[in-house]
Amino acid sequence: MHVQREGSHLHSEINITPLVDVVLVLLIIFMVVVPIMLKGYDVSIPRSSAEVVPAQAEEAQVILSIVPASCHILGQPAGEGLPEDCRVTLAEHEIPVADLAARVSEILGGRPAERRVLFIAADDRLNYEGVLRIVDFAKSRVDDLKIEFITTD
Amino acid sequence: MRPVKPGRIQSAINVTPLVDVVLVLLIIFMVMAPQMHKGPDVDLPDTTKPRDQGDERGRILVSIDEAGGLWINDQPVAAESFGDSLRAAAGAEQPDIKVVIRGDARLRLGMVRQAMLAIEDAGFHGVGLIAKHAGAEGKGD
Repeated sequence: MHVQREGSHLHSEINITPLVDVVLVLLIIFMVVVPIMLKGYDVSIPRSSAEVVPAQAEEAQVILSIVPASCHILGQPAGEGLPEDCRVTLAEHEIPVADLAARVSEILGGRPAERRVLFIAADDRLNYEGVLRIVDFAKSRVDDLKIEFITTD
Repeated sequence: MRPVKPGRIQSAINVTPLVDVVLVLLIIFMVMAPQMHKGPDVDLPDTTKPRDQGDERGRILVSIDEAGGLWINDQPVAAESFGDSLRAAAGAEQPDIKVVIRGDARLRLGMVRQAMLAIEDAGFHGVGLIAKHAGAEGKGD
């Protein structure tokens, strides 16, 4: 602390106590809020009562199919990023999974937002995390892409 | 501290106990925070860009643990009574309340898809699949 002489000198130090208090309270608020924020993907299953809009039926539905014969993600993928050694079938063309985002944005990017729907037909035996990483990558270049999981059996 | 002349009153507030209390609170929250989410410990899938799904309040959390056991919020439920339990958890807010699935990364896709079908059958449309940002700290948040 600064020693004041006879009351004639001005205090030249900034009082940081209120600043420290505010920062600590903000820190506590963030620590409480952050862990309960959820992150993830909105997906759905097509309703059985086929509510197909005629305009939608005119455009081909884009189906991404992932099968274990060409995409080896039966176990949990190691590390981060896309599963290696994986080829998927998008709109009836087999492509390496690394090309998926570009192809999806090419096919679906130009459509109006409500018709940007990607149907995913993935084998039940595949690993959940591997499939979710492919979904993540497929969505990465198209805004508001709807994901519908269709049953394979 | 400032030397106090005899007879003068010291007018500064002593902030040391305040700072002590705040630091202790901070430590308590740091320890508690990872255990505060509802449901079992689930090893969530790592992905690159998961979108915001809001916070836990106002959502029904369906967790699927490594063995395929189903949980609604923090209660384990049997597969047979899953639909009824889900409707009970939603109460009067159905179908506006959103259901999210916290599926374990080691599961097969089939387990998650069956849960999605069961949720759909119970009258909820669309689910959120919860993931965590790759490399993020923590298990299950």
